[in-house]
Amino acid sequence: MRHEILDAPDFGLLKLTLDAGEKVVAESGAMVAMGPSIAVDTKMRGGFLAAAKRKLLGGESIFQNTFTASAGGQELYLAPPVEGDLARRELAPGETFFLQSGNYLAHVGDQLVLDTQWGGVRSFFGGIGFFMLKVVGPGTLFYASYGAIHEVAVGAGGYTCDTGHIVGFTSGLEYKVRPFAGFKGLFFSGEGLVCDFEGRGSLFVQTRKAPSLAAFLHPFRPVQQRGDN
Amino acid sequence: MHFDIQYRPTHSLAIAHLEPEESVRAEASAMVSMTRNLTITTDGPMGGRGGLLKSFKRAMLGGETFFTNTFTARGTPGHVTLAPTLSGDMLAIELARGEPLYIQGSSYVAAPDSVDLDTRWQGLKGFFSGESLFFLEATGTGPVLVNAFGAIEELDLNGDIIVDTGHLVAFGAGIEYEVTKASRGWIASYLSGEGLVLRMSGRGRIYLQSRNPNEYGQAVGSELPPRQG
Amino acid sequence: MQHYIEHGPAFAWLRTRLEPNESIVAEAGAMVRRSTALEVETRLNASKKGGFVGLIVAFFVALMRKFFGGETMFVNEFGGPQGGEVVLAPKLSGHILRKTLDGTRTLFVQSGGYLASTAGIDTLLRFGGLRTLFGGEGLVLIQCTGQGDVFVNSYGGITEVPIDGQFVVDTGHIVAFDGALDFKVRSIGGAKSFLFSGEGLVCEFRGRGTVYIQSRNLKALVSWITPLLPG
Repeated sequence: MRHEILDAPDFGLLKLTLDAGEKVVAESGAMVAMGPSIAVDTKMRGGFLAAAKRKLLGGESIFQNTFTASAGGQELYLAPPVEGDLARRELAPGETFFLQSGNYLAHVGDQLVLDTQWGGVRSFFGGIGFFMLKVVGPGTLFYASYGAIHEVAVGAGGYTCDTGHIVGFTSGLEYKVRPFAGFKGLFFSGEGLVCDFEGRGSLFVQTRKAPSLAAFLHPFRPVQQRGDN
Repeated sequence: MHFDIQYRPTHSLAIAHLEPEESVRAEASAMVSMTRNLTITTDGPMGGRGGLLKSFKRAMLGGETFFTNTFTARGTPGHVTLAPTLSGDMLAIELARGEPLYIQGSSYVAAPDSVDLDTRWQGLKGFFSGESLFFLEATGTGPVLVNAFGAIEELDLNGDIIVDTGHLVAFGAGIEYEVTKASRGWIASYLSGEGLVLRMSGRGRIYLQSRNPNEYGQAVGSELPPRQG
Repeated sequence: MQHYIEHGPAFAWLRTRLEPNESIVAEAGAMVRRSTALEVETRLNASKKGGFVGLIVAFFVALMRKFFGGETMFVNEFGGPQGGEVVLAPKLSGHILRKTLDGTRTLFVQSGGYLASTAGIDTLLRFGGLRTLFGGEGLVLIQCTGQGDVFVNSYGGITEVPIDGQFVVDTGHIVAFDGALDFKVRSIGGAKSFLFSGEGLVCEFRGRGTVYIQSRNLKALVSWITPLLPG
């Protein structure tokens, strides 16, 4: 399988070329374009109804599509929903990487684990909307950012980051989520929380965040007419 | 204190570097991340520089969130990283004493204490769209951090020009403006989709952004599920 | 006419310098700034005439279509006896591409992708199939013919894909394509997949020609942000 990242860092687009039998798992909605000999299979974690309910209510669920090529040289283009950068991370067996769920794009490798049940899954964003995935290797992970990716080497002094701006971080960092006293906004899900990091590791920061966009777009929504259910 | 702007022009991030005891005042929702040696005070109607009336006026008429935060480094140098809501560029415009800068309400991000901000009530409204124009008047010395939705064009005007206000970031002294029709006649102006349009004349600098937040909000917002009225 | 595509690839805008009596037609709301000497004519794209009566008729046609369902397209034509400069910008972030038509070719542009065109280009709203099966819209296309330039804009980057055979593209990622290509809109992989896979509709292209794809999709952004919106 060959991979190429196009249009980065503004609008990262992942171009994969698959040989017969090769497959890649991707977030639902990520497919841009593909060759004629690729089959798509939809996986729903935890069963049909449970997964559907979680998707509709925004709970911890990812719908994924598995793309399998039945011929050689099949092109597959994948894109995340927001504008920004796109990166690849190779994970060694047992290597852990924490990733904001909204930033997950795709992965290659049957043994890669996306854990949505670990202890800290809900603590970063106030329990609504996105959650923190725990990704464990081996495998290849592709993820996106809303905005640019700004890498911070966390060291002796520690570092604080608004949770909506966290793309991911490496294991080896301790984290503590708390309300940010200085923030008094409209409290769209996840706003107003920051994370204090300590220890040694890398923090990947994105330069835009989803709750602010939600707050900006909210007044532009159509108004519910009386009589709609 | 100085601003270091990275990832220009699409997903810009401004790093405000602070020497010990130096401060920067920023829009409440602009904070992305920071070193842990900063203290933060929230300026609102009950306190902060400028006192009760100035902050309140700015909050009600400036089109911004209600509060600003003042970040101060303690003991050692530190930094806070800042970003606006929408994608696009940022620019630190250096103010000279005696030369005011007029900034569209939603374009202001941050400035040191040596910059004074006041609201200038314009009382201009679009005839059909209900759009209004709010400007902040920045005086004093030092860098003012502004954001643009899109890329920034610095236009040195000597004469006159017709401008769509949704694309207006800021302008300097020496420029007059008046509301004008977007097209021939009132019906046409309504159908033209242009919103509030100004005829600007004189000699001075105009800062434009290459996207219009209202157009973007409507394009995306109209596709979102309806909200309670 | 001189044209300059500036601030690409992420926030491109189109700056045009018009000669006396030259004109450019742009989608409604696209103007950033213009010379004060330029005149502006607002009309429905299909009608070549402006004027007061033409405008009243256009207004009622638009109202009718709005109530009974359907698309309308208002455009502004900029031009004047002195010429002048006008800058046009799309609504979403992305790039602008100029396509020149010589009178023999047709270009289909997805409705959100049309920014502007020169006077010799005819534009017609067309509908690309699979409308009401799941409440979707299929493809709303603008068929461009004639001689002159068409300026298309993308949401995200533009990738040119030459086709010789078959290719499948998510409909939300189509910017434009050659009229010579056969296309068919369908849902991906059966009913269950459509409802839950996230991929709504795809367009199957066959033949020889070029498809221009964009690296972002408005419907995908909507799905992504919706769980974060309050009630």
